[in-house]
Amino acid sequence: MTQKFPITYPVLANGTRYRWDKVRNQHQLVFPEGMMVLNEPGRAIVKLCDGRSTDDLIAALKETYPGSEPSDDVFEFLDQLAERGLIHDGSVDD
Amino acid sequence: MMDPLTTRPLALLAEVTYRCPLQCPYCSNPLELGRYRKELDTSTWVRVFREAAELGVVQLHLSGGEPLVRRDIMELVQEASRAGLYTNMSTGATVVDDRKLEQLREAGLDHLQVSLLDTEPESNDRLAGAASFDRKRQAVLGAKRLGFPVTLNVVLHRQNLDRIAEVIAIAQEWKVNRLELAHTQYTGWAFRNRAALMPTRKQLERAHEVVESARAAGTGGVDVLHVLPDYYFDQYPKACLQGWGMVSMSVAPDGFVLPCQTAREIPGLEFPNVSEYSLEQIWTDAPVFKRFRGTDWMPEPCRSCDKKEVDFGGCRCQAFLMTGDVNATDPVCQLSPQHHLVDEALKEAEQDAPPLHFRVMSS
Repeated sequence: MTQKFPITYPVLANGTRYRWDKVRNQHQLVFPEGMMVLNEPGRAIVKLCDGRSTDDLIAALKETYPGSEPSDDVFEFLDQLAERGLIHDGSVDD
Repeated sequence: MMDPLTTRPLALLAEVTYRCPLQCPYCSNPLELGRYRKELDTSTWVRVFREAAELGVVQLHLSGGEPLVRRDIMELVQEASRAGLYTNMSTGATVVDDRKLEQLREAGLDHLQVSLLDTEPESNDRLAGAASFDRKRQAVLGAKRLGFPVTLNVVLHRQNLDRIAEVIAIAQEWKVNRLELAHTQYTGWAFRNRAALMPTRKQLERAHEVVESARAAGTGGVDVLHVLPDYYFDQYPKACLQGWGMVSMSVAPDGFVLPCQTAREIPGLEFPNVSEYSLEQIWTDAPVFKRFRGTDWMPEPCRSCDKKEVDFGGCRCQAFLMTGDVNATDPVCQLSPQHHLVDEALKEAEQDAPPLHFRVMSS
């Protein structure tokens, strides 16, 4: 699996943030004019978009979800976030 | 009938004031601005924000008028943010400097939207009725320096549409995150100025091509949204508000709660006020929110149409302004018995434009 958007150190973009919606009992990623509902793994990934490398991110996910092989799904999700401008590469200036 | 609490509102538009230093001729504020000079005080707005968060609102849009003319605006932003709302602000950016931008950042503002009327400073300032181009530019650059995501909002019409390529270029030059190219919605002042603002078909076709080729070439990190004018392009009306009373509500400066910020123009509707009811009571029980919610209210041809849950009968304000009947199918729809009204407006657009009436505060 290749990444369409080769981001090595994913960080949430300015103005994009995680939010727990206590009214709907939902994890959400909110950003200008939009919102994405996250499942548990999605939330775990988003929380790990803190500038660490994708390798470290996947290693941390394996600890959270023992026995899983998350890499393809993770890259697909990160691609989705990058395509919508919700993450960028923390090692590159905007 | 649906349970309104199963579809809780996601967005609240808080028009904290109708005061504004600009005079944009397509302003969506009411024509008779002088009738609505009262404004809610700080503590009432703060209560509204908390009630909104409790009700399930995710996105708060602070708007006006010019929200930054309120002296308590920093406190309002801070309390909205504290309530857990994703806080957006739409500003004309004429009364903001770097210090105020920093304060907004500290108060927790999430996203700044700056209006631009035209890429030619002289034309921008003429349309705004005030020297404002340089200030807008400074505000965008300052906000970007502080790390705000910035959207540039450009309302398109016959007097600026031919410079759409320049609009895209300026958005790239200023490195904004998003560019909203929204064609004028003909309500409020824009309806009064419709003949002066409606573009010709030729202008629109060219603009559409420019946007598409800019997109194909890549817009350099700027997310370009292009909202096409429903008069010209649509066979069916826009899904106004994604349905009346379905996902959003607006609070006017004086505390009246509207399903849409221009609904005040529809006579005969009674709006509840936040000083008397909670937002939840209003959302679930206010007759005006139930009035066009769902599909039960619909006349023919909507009632038997398989698109009725796609466009919800279109825009109630537009239906009223064009036909005089708030219950009518939006005349933009080709199935509307009054669709000829749209054709007549388009024919008028091929004539010379009359002069603009600028927004004024008098009653």
